[in-house]
Amino acid sequence: MKHHGTAAVAAATLAGALALTGCTGQSAAGGDTDDSTLTIWHYENEDSAMGKAWAKAIEIFEEEHPDVTVDVEKQTFEQIQKNAKIVLTGDDVPDVMEFNKGNATAGQLAAQGLLAPLTDAAQERGWAEKLPGSLATTATYDEQGLMGSGDWYGVPNYGEFVGVYYNKDMFADLGLEVPTTLDELEDVLAAFKAEGVTPLAEAGAEYPLGQLWYELVLAHADRALVDDYQLFANDVDFHDDAMTQATETLDEWIDKGYIAADSAALTAEDMGVSFIDGTYPIMVSGSWWFGRLATEMQADWGQFNFPGNTLHTGSSGNLWVVPANADSKSLAEDFIDITLRPEVQDVLAVEGGLPVAGDASAIEDERTRELTENFQAILDEDGLAYYPDWPVAGYYDVLVSELQSLVNRSKTPDEVLDGLQGSYEDGKADLLDG
Amino acid sequence: MADTVLAERRVRADERPRAPRRARRPEWVGYLPYLLPGAVAFGVVIGYPLLTNVYFSLFKWRGGMAPLRWYGLGNYVDLLGDDKFWTSFGNSLAMIVAMVLVPTLLGLVLAAVLFDYLGRRFGPRVASVLRATYYLPQILPVAVAGVLWNWILNSQTGALNVILRGVGVETPPNWLGDPDTALPSVMLVLIWVQMGYPVVIFMAALQRVDPELYEAAELDGAGWWDRFRAITVPQIRPETFVVTLTCTVAALKVFGPIYVLTRGGPESSTLVPSYYSYLSFFDKSQVGYGSAIATVLTLVIVVVALVILGLQNRAERREREGL
Repeated sequence: MKHHGTAAVAAATLAGALALTGCTGQSAAGGDTDDSTLTIWHYENEDSAMGKAWAKAIEIFEEEHPDVTVDVEKQTFEQIQKNAKIVLTGDDVPDVMEFNKGNATAGQLAAQGLLAPLTDAAQERGWAEKLPGSLATTATYDEQGLMGSGDWYGVPNYGEFVGVYYNKDMFADLGLEVPTTLDELEDVLAAFKAEGVTPLAEAGAEYPLGQLWYELVLAHADRALVDDYQLFANDVDFHDDAMTQATETLDEWIDKGYIAADSAALTAEDMGVSFIDGTYPIMVSGSWWFGRLATEMQADWGQFNFPGNTLHTGSSGNLWVVPANADSKSLAEDFIDITLRPEVQDVLAVEGGLPVAGDASAIEDERTRELTENFQAILDEDGLAYYPDWPVAGYYDVLVSELQSLVNRSKTPDEVLDGLQGSYEDGKADLLDG
Repeated sequence: MADTVLAERRVRADERPRAPRRARRPEWVGYLPYLLPGAVAFGVVIGYPLLTNVYFSLFKWRGGMAPLRWYGLGNYVDLLGDDKFWTSFGNSLAMIVAMVLVPTLLGLVLAAVLFDYLGRRFGPRVASVLRATYYLPQILPVAVAGVLWNWILNSQTGALNVILRGVGVETPPNWLGDPDTALPSVMLVLIWVQMGYPVVIFMAALQRVDPELYEAAELDGAGWWDRFRAITVPQIRPETFVVTLTCTVAALKVFGPIYVLTRGGPESSTLVPSYYSYLSFFDKSQVGYGSAIATVLTLVIVVVALVILGLQNRAERREREGL
């Protein structure tokens, strides 16, 4: 009986979809054929830093283009992520939309011919100068959809990075200082453990553990390894020094109880909540937690960059991309250009949105300034090393699964590295001959 | 005059049986237009996607506007050597245990107990309240049920482990995080979800059974268990087949509960074919490979369904012959 229900719902959905396509079939296809409307798709909340900055950008755009109607359609991340491949093949596409960066996402769309190249605009309008080094890496993709070379396909407005959040009250109770090297961090972890406190909030079922592993890899790595791992410059030996030491350190931390033994199935949400409520003193995670901690955390807290690293997990934020079938591409480029102006970038800065071209000194809130300065410090060293699951499609699940077996003590570091290497090489082969 | 009328009548009477032969149109042709809406719906909702899926499975394809590259049966050959594929189908057997075997057996006993023990002793209202209670998990959206069980089974803050720690268990099991306990935990949740369906169907079936059979058996001194075995089970055999068939199909294509509970983890220990297909198709953008998994799954479901239907037909035939 459940099955009849499902079939009926499917039929109804289909009918709805047909009706919808029916009434939007008249829009113009290809080229710069429509200069009276700019359709924007994005998935940021109105009260987020991005939402506020982009509202400002739209305001400026409307002032400068009084004849153009701006049509903003709110989407969800999942909607765009799962459906872009299908939606963008049609004619009813936005002129500019927010999309996730990386080989497996924007890179794929670029390789599939669904995005318009922006190289000329990037040169003429000076985007290439505003977004140098590791920021531009995520904006350019080659014919196979690999980032780091080829045409510009997207433009980031903001950045994100993984750092260390710490509970100042709990540090003060034990008289601990902010560590500045990996050894000092290990001393801090040991000090908490000696007091019976598990120091690290972690989550084995989602991204956090993989990002901690990657921070440890980066502690022993140089830019060449990042280029090999992320951009396929050379083959990667997973049993080299950096990855072996990182995996063994993580294994040791689990063994010593710095990470809870029962964290394999915990989610990022579980991790965040237990850090906020003071169960754990340290959480290694991304700048996307900043706003949540600022509003919810009772105890005093702060943030520092992963101690000793010059390379950090992180990247530019999501990209503005222009679909190949968009009908007002030059308006879209005007809009993208506006989002990089100081007026808009400063809105991002003040709201803690980590602007790519902003000014930290304009920020009054102390924690927001600290976060932005930490990010600027990484940018000054060109230290963004992207995310561990980026190189090949589906690698996220592999990382989660392999590191879960480390937490569950069902594999040795060596076996984990074998598993990571196998999937990496399969995925890389798939990408390169795709 | 009378002769002509008779003659005419005779002619018409002669014509009548010949008429269909002349048109060469069997009677069922007239019904065909009425089948059209169903056929169109079938073609659009099932036929076309099914064929497209089989077509995709013969290519290596990343989706979108990327080129399709002919791979023949390569995806299927790759499947044979893929451990995760075999794990996922192995887990399908566990899903059948959790969604068909246990709920059907338990459901049969529960329905009988509710119907002719509790129903008679405490009145039909008590029985229907209990029946509704068993059915509740079926109405609950699977996403809600998933959040609920995730909260109960969470290793650190979950209700179950908090209780276990409260009674002195120092390291309670990591229900969804340990590969050894994750699959059994998911199975328990599925039994809980699935239970109400057979109970409701079987209780409806029991109302169809002639009460005289029970009365006669009781007069002959048959106990509850004897009546259950000799009357209840054989009488509601058709419903048992329906429940087995629909639940087996549901178990083979289960997706939602896995998606919300474990996403196939930890360490791929709870992977099922439909989730693996989804993972390949969408997350890894291996559209051909994902389609191949879906095609195999469809074939398996069709074969299993045909076997069950065959068994049902044979059982019905035997019953007719027996009577």
